[in-house]
Amino acid sequence: MSKRHYEDGNPAPLPSKRGRQPNIISSLSDEILLHILSFLPIPSLIVCQRLSCRFKALAEDSEIWKRHYYHRWIRPRLANVRRTVFSHPEVRYSPKVSTWLDHGHFADEGRSMDWKGQYRLRHNWSKGICRVTELEFSHPYGRSALAAFCAGIIFTVDRDNWLRAKSTKIPAYYLAEISLAKLRTPLAALPTAMTAMVGSRPNTIEVVVGFEDGHFGIYNLDIAASALEFRTTCAGSTSGSITTIASLYPYILLASDHKALSLFKITTESDARSRLLPKEPALLSCLEADSILEPLSISIRSVGSDIISSIVYSFYHVGCGWSLGIQELHFSLSDLQQKCSRLTTTVDSQYGVCPPLGQIYSRIDTPCAWGATNTKGGLCMRPAEPAIHHQETPTSVSYSHPYLITSHTDNTLTVYLVVSTSAGLYVKGAQRLWGHTSSVLAVQVSDRGRAVSVSSRGDEVRVWELEALVSAFGRQRARRYGKSIRVSPGNRQSDVSELRSSSPTKANALLQTTGFPYHMPEISGFIGFDDQCVLLLRGNGLDVHMLECYDFT
Amino acid sequence: MSATTLRFQSSDGVVITIDRDVAQRSVLIKNLLEDLGDTTEAIPIPNVNEAVLRKVIEWCEHHKGDPPSTGDDDDSRRKTTDIDEWDQKFMQVDQEMLFEIILAANYLDIKGLLDVGCKTVANMIKGKSPEEIRKTFNIQNDFTPEEEDQIRRENEWAEDR
Repeated sequence: MSKRHYEDGNPAPLPSKRGRQPNIISSLSDEILLHILSFLPIPSLIVCQRLSCRFKALAEDSEIWKRHYYHRWIRPRLANVRRTVFSHPEVRYSPKVSTWLDHGHFADEGRSMDWKGQYRLRHNWSKGICRVTELEFSHPYGRSALAAFCAGIIFTVDRDNWLRAKSTKIPAYYLAEISLAKLRTPLAALPTAMTAMVGSRPNTIEVVVGFEDGHFGIYNLDIAASALEFRTTCAGSTSGSITTIASLYPYILLASDHKALSLFKITTESDARSRLLPKEPALLSCLEADSILEPLSISIRSVGSDIISSIVYSFYHVGCGWSLGIQELHFSLSDLQQKCSRLTTTVDSQYGVCPPLGQIYSRIDTPCAWGATNTKGGLCMRPAEPAIHHQETPTSVSYSHPYLITSHTDNTLTVYLVVSTSAGLYVKGAQRLWGHTSSVLAVQVSDRGRAVSVSSRGDEVRVWELEALVSAFGRQRARRYGKSIRVSPGNRQSDVSELRSSSPTKANALLQTTGFPYHMPEISGFIGFDDQCVLLLRGNGLDVHMLECYDFT
Repeated sequence: MSATTLRFQSSDGVVITIDRDVAQRSVLIKNLLEDLGDTTEAIPIPNVNEAVLRKVIEWCEHHKGDPPSTGDDDDSRRKTTDIDEWDQKFMQVDQEMLFEIILAANYLDIKGLLDVGCKTVANMIKGKSPEEIRKTFNIQNDFTPEEEDQIRRENEWAEDR
């Protein structure tokens, strides 16, 4: 033992048995050691990282973690889908990520993918484990601030009419800022809505800000250069204040409080030096509506050779209370002409009947919005009592095809599955989701079926994975999947077990947070989430606005 | 018609006679025989000594009736570290021999034996603390206490499973 030398007084890990048992395992090749490690469950794999530098590197091997990721997150879902579609749950691991369900976007990342990190991220989402950081951003002046979130960048518009961008990774300072008033001094109208989308070139984000006089401006953030620049502005199609914006580059869908829906396309033209210059966005379509009510949700997506813009709006149905209408407008990508418009409602699914596809068109008996004509269908065989009855208007609606979800003051959410095929548009089943213990203020869903909901006081944030639930619609086991995970930030939790197991520094931090009870200002808006974090906007009227970032990495 | 037995020479010069179909559990030997055709000469196995070679042959003889590995059973193979009873007894050898067997199985390309060997090692790791594992395999800790603590904290998320 005396022969060994350890720096920094590091105690000898073990007395060697006079070299009787040499360190054979370390003489094995990486290949064989990886083979051994591939048989280990995750807890043992984690332990192996602490053995030595070499073992740490080996136990972090991305391929091993990729396999674990597949078995924990992909295989169960694939089995579920296969059972539904082929009734033959034969699934094999394939190292090709592009064959994994919903993971096509991972394939682009190529070999550099950190699968351990991805595993951890999924694990944290499934357990609701995250860290909360507060990003203070607003100068306190009464009017609620606007915010948008895209590709890890938070955009905010303050009372002083500055558009600012900040990365969730480096929240300490702003990436870039630009005054909205610069080009129209003094600012004629106040900003009322905002959205952000991934732009045409890599590493750019286009931000659209709508104003109360109906015009909107487009700004561009170059992430690499940390520069925000003004691109163009457009007078809009109505004089009403813009209430919501949805976008999918290069399309912008706007809804105004004059109940008009308009679709624009951002266009560019080349100048003499063949640089692309922005032109005024072109109006593709505009629709007026009379009988729709808030809350509403607009979205735009691209399917094959079509652009589909959709609007989900609320209306009151005599039988089942507050219901939703869904209207889809199809535009052909080639000539940008409107191809068709389709409408459906959630009424049937609220009664628990799922219309066979052939009958859909004869059954529309609800207020038609957005220019379509009202058809009265007769052949309804509905039960006397609806299964889902909403007395009060939903507090929010979120639609990301095919998931449609509403939040309610009665502590519940309702999820609908929207089916849109070439044959028609209909709602296939609905289910209430229980889990919140107070009124739900807002909900948002992603196209991959993850929904995040927040209670009115903002003290309860829940994560819902809806994919398994909706694929089980109409079957007995559907109810089993309607569960959610409450987001419990590790650094704001008075959990005793946490305190016991954690290091002294963490315990201290915990004592501080429990010693001075954290006062939570009201939630004033809900911004959104991506694969890594959830963003909430807090602030009560005149108070300081605060962005809360729940980071799951 | 090819001979039913083959002769092999271990690294320490001992010649062992083996049934051809037993020897062909090794993909290396199988490919070798395909290239070589019939041979009556002793085939040298330079990396494996007699004791290990006899162990390997013992395993191959016991498993000669097994269906050949198809290669796509990767999943079910990895899902469990269960080892059947005979293999468990077979692997009750000292560590040096265990690793020699693994190396030989890897060299001779005998997938089944390699898996059993690696699973045996994996089972020796499972459920142990880092200190216990280091003791078992005589692995030298080259982390400072701070580094080790840092790694432990980084991986806290995975502990409550």
